[in-house]
Amino acid sequence: MILIGEDLNVMSGEISRVIKEQEPGPIQECVTEQTKNGMDYLDVNVGPVKKDPEGTMEWLINTVQAVTELPLCLDTTNPVAMEAGLKFCQKKALINSASGATESMETMLPLAAKYSADVVLSVINDSGLPSDADERAASIMESAAVANELGIPNENIWVDPVLLPIGVDQRQVTAYLEFIQMLQDLMPGAKSTCGLSNLSYGAPRELKSLLNRTFLVMIGRYGQHSAIVSGFDHELIRLIRGEEPEMVDLIYRAMDEEDMDTSALPQKELEYVKTAQVLMGKSLYSHSWLEV
Amino acid sequence: MRYEPPLEKISVNIRETVLGHGEKAIKIGGENTLPFHSFEGTLPNPPGLALEILDTEPQNWAPSILEPYEDVVSDPVSWAKKCVEVFGAEILCLRLESTDPMGQDGSPQAAAEMTKKVADAVDVPLIVWGSDMEEKDAQVLTEVARVCAGKNLLLSPVVKGNYEKIAQAALEHGHAIVAQASMDANLTKELNIVLCKFFPPEKIVVDPTASALGYGLEYTFSIIEEIKQFGLTDKDKMMQMPIICDFGGDCWRTKEAKENREQGILWEATTGISFLLAGANLLILRHPEALKLIKEMVV
Repeated sequence: MILIGEDLNVMSGEISRVIKEQEPGPIQECVTEQTKNGMDYLDVNVGPVKKDPEGTMEWLINTVQAVTELPLCLDTTNPVAMEAGLKFCQKKALINSASGATESMETMLPLAAKYSADVVLSVINDSGLPSDADERAASIMESAAVANELGIPNENIWVDPVLLPIGVDQRQVTAYLEFIQMLQDLMPGAKSTCGLSNLSYGAPRELKSLLNRTFLVMIGRYGQHSAIVSGFDHELIRLIRGEEPEMVDLIYRAMDEEDMDTSALPQKELEYVKTAQVLMGKSLYSHSWLEV
Repeated sequence: MRYEPPLEKISVNIRETVLGHGEKAIKIGGENTLPFHSFEGTLPNPPGLALEILDTEPQNWAPSILEPYEDVVSDPVSWAKKCVEVFGAEILCLRLESTDPMGQDGSPQAAAEMTKKVADAVDVPLIVWGSDMEEKDAQVLTEVARVCAGKNLLLSPVVKGNYEKIAQAALEHGHAIVAQASMDANLTKELNIVLCKFFPPEKIVVDPTASALGYGLEYTFSIIEEIKQFGLTDKDKMMQMPIICDFGGDCWRTKEAKENREQGILWEATTGISFLLAGANLLILRHPEALKLIKEMVV
């Protein structure tokens, strides 16, 4: 599983400030830490960069690349900033993101073709977010056809099925699970990614990571290629890097609805089982799902 | 080949909740099938139908809704008696409007005394509804619980922000409660889970918050259906509580109801019957004719 560290993000007030003031210290610290923690890519989320997109991207990309050799995932809605960023990336970059919405396809996909970059392509289209797995399939097939036409091969496309918060719409979480299993049949060779932390948006702070990491194990089993995750979630990283094989196996067994004597399970194991069950849509989500 | 109708047998029940005490106590819930599916399972109790009364003279009520109560609105006890004796109400809902901090801001003690008077004057089960102001309801409903100990009132609404105090008092003094979470199945479950850590599930009725026809009825309808299906087909124990709907006020605020008596009655009855079709177990109604219409249809 390819892990993309999400922490260099203008949504953080501090990161936003140091980008504006071109103060390399905190940025390089964030990059170094995530690199050390074992990320495979780093997301560089700069927002819309309204002021001097070219200058900002040049400075930022060089500042980041001075302390890491990891490839970058460029995260901006501004095509001018995106192109500027692509010019300075030393490794094959990942464009984050294009969608099936006309405007997004018209601006972002040509950049992916021109720079032979990888591109995240979400299942969103002009009518919004598809409501189930089949509609996701229909939407991505249309957008992928446009991308292929422009000379972008499936191998360069990282499909984002779009993960919604479980507290908002649990059915969208099960639709995700269903769709990710279909993806290789729909688009042979295509990769996949998602913004993992969105899953637990609104959930109790201390339980967010449990939801995120359980889900990542689950979609990993279904062939998920990568995910944008917190580069500081050590427990998640250990789990995904195969350092807790028994726990992964337990999550798989919960997914298979294997008969388990849950009363015999230690606390932590039981939490994973309950979380997997709620993520499979076997029981209705509530913030107290562990207490039932 | 003989045709066998495909029937869905459900192995769990909605919990049965007892309202009131003594001979006139009423049970709601208890079904092991979807609403009105008597061909698939059993529905041991018909829906509970309550008429509402206010503890203070109604303000801004349209003439056609005021008319049946005109002679009694100044006295909640007479109002309650009329609902039972003349209009045949088998359940009452006393709305403690006087306690609203944005209005008269009456004391919890006075409201509790009035509740006691009404509860003593009639023998039918009593729902006691606060002012929908979280903090004030915690003070008022705990006092009502204490003063009316043993009457098995249905105290409402209990929400995320005040459930501990009210449920504790209900438990101590022998009452049931309405757990209210607005239009959200996940939050309904959440509130039930935290309540059931110390409160008996069979004394909880859930309120998804109801909107009148034309004002969001379809959202309420879907949420009721969802709650019922999670409880019955998914066997989710935290979703097996009976459901209450309170919408009379909403109906009689509509232009259509205010303009025309018949229209108002039909507005309320149609809203109510829709919620029963979705799976509601207990309705609070405002007009005696709406009560009569619904009763004729379902009981």
